[in-house]
Amino acid sequence: MKAYIAFTKKEWLESIRTYRFFILLAVFFIIGIMNPITAKITPELLSSLATEGITITIPEPTAMDSWLQFYKNVPQMGLIVLVIMFSGGMTGECSKGTFVNMVTKGLKRSTIILSKFTMSVCMWTISLALCFMISTYYTAYYWNIDGLEQILQSVACLWLFGVFLIAILLLMGAIVRSNYACLLLVGGVVVTLFLINMVPRLQEFNPIRLTSGNMSLITSEMAIADFVYSISITIILTVLSLLGAIMVFNKKKL
Amino acid sequence: MNILEVNEVSKAFGKQVILDGVNFHVPEHSVFGFLGQNGAGKTTTMKIILGLLQADQGVVMVNGERVTYGQTKTNRYIGYLPDVPEFYGYMKPLEYLALCGEITGMKKNECKLRTEELLDLVGLEKANKKIAGFSRGMKQRLGIAQALLSEPKLLVCDEPTSALDPIGRKEILDILYKVKDKTTVMFSTHILSDVERICDNIALIHQGKIQMQGDLVTIKTNHAKEGIEIEFSKIEDLKRFQKEAKDLANVFKGKEDSPLAIELKASNMNELSKVSLQILAQNDIVPVKFMCVKPTLEDLFMEIVKE
Repeated sequence: MKAYIAFTKKEWLESIRTYRFFILLAVFFIIGIMNPITAKITPELLSSLATEGITITIPEPTAMDSWLQFYKNVPQMGLIVLVIMFSGGMTGECSKGTFVNMVTKGLKRSTIILSKFTMSVCMWTISLALCFMISTYYTAYYWNIDGLEQILQSVACLWLFGVFLIAILLLMGAIVRSNYACLLLVGGVVVTLFLINMVPRLQEFNPIRLTSGNMSLITSEMAIADFVYSISITIILTVLSLLGAIMVFNKKKL
Repeated sequence: MNILEVNEVSKAFGKQVILDGVNFHVPEHSVFGFLGQNGAGKTTTMKIILGLLQADQGVVMVNGERVTYGQTKTNRYIGYLPDVPEFYGYMKPLEYLALCGEITGMKKNECKLRTEELLDLVGLEKANKKIAGFSRGMKQRLGIAQALLSEPKLLVCDEPTSALDPIGRKEILDILYKVKDKTTVMFSTHILSDVERICDNIALIHQGKIQMQGDLVTIKTNHAKEGIEIEFSKIEDLKRFQKEAKDLANVFKGKEDSPLAIELKASNMNELSKVSLQILAQNDIVPVKFMCVKPTLEDLFMEIVKE
């Protein structure tokens, strides 16, 4: 336990001193501000483009447009930045050899994986919370917030998907040695999930629903009950990925 | 008692056999030199001892416990200095050693005292900057400090001096010699003068096997043949001598750097000198130099490696 706390503290220090956490915060801060603003000014931008003779009729933007931006930007930009930021966590230390001193001091390899998971999830949570709060604040400022419960449920789904991605990242980082290979494999997993999503019967079970079905949840097209399978599968896969990462890492040459 | 025993360890990477039944042991409280050329398998052996690599065959015992690959409990007895120690560059030495201490489960006060003591020992007490800005030599010192932090029974250093300048090398060797009373030091190297300076025991690995091992003094007296070196004033003298002494020595060679000198080696040193002097006297040759040559580790090393 002591070693776990020590190594988690080291992960924290690393994120601060290598500016990883700040970059993540900055990106999510910008996304947070952008969401409502893009929704607000898009019609004005478009109408300013309209020349004489052409009339563009655009419906007045609503809070929904702001959330639409949120659930487009965070899964796209946000998750990609998240994956890139954390992709070097395992492979970098493996190839540099910084694990050697730790492991030969008796640090359990499972502790390394769990510490990295803990710290990555913490940072993802803080970043997403920041982004969400800013978006909510400005959305409430320009329009109003209706159905906060659904909105929270939907952001929780998104959060869970991020956690799942982090676990996959650790698994792939334990398997391969190169940073790029790790990114490629994580990308491969996401692409596979999208491909599986083409089979309608499987959509209900697919973790990808957690990032694609958010708007349906807010607009009440779907209820949280429709996400139960997807959520369960995602949690199971996350746990399995972590166990797998520990098993693979235990046998890895350092 | 032996702190480390390596029995019949073999390891191959694909078809390339690196270790082929390696056997050696390290007695407690000694400085053990592990010799071999580049690529002879020194690092591989050390990594197997630390459980970082899996041996194909054989058993390694540290302090009487068997080493297992992956989860290595025996590592609590070992302090390890890798050939190129890597640290978290964004940390300062004190922070890094504190992290190491916490990982090994040391108490905070104990760790702090020990850290100060060690930084003093390795001469880094004033280096309060990030490790990223450290020179190679400083990293090597910090490496020794982290390896010694938990007061290990065995300190394993992988080529600790290879990349350092002469002063840095001497300082690292002095540190290793200093800690000998408290721990056992095993270090690999291909720099023979380092071995002669501080080692009590050695093992030499070549072509996957231990070619010789034991007490350095005994090895030197047993293995290497002593010899004499004679330098002549004229090339004719040398040729005459060579002709006369044809049957005398079993190793007989001209010296590369001076064409007028030759070296003779035989197992019976007294006999060799006596007969050589007789030949010189009978043929009326007055040499410029007549010298007994003591065997060096380098000769030994060369002899084994060239075979």
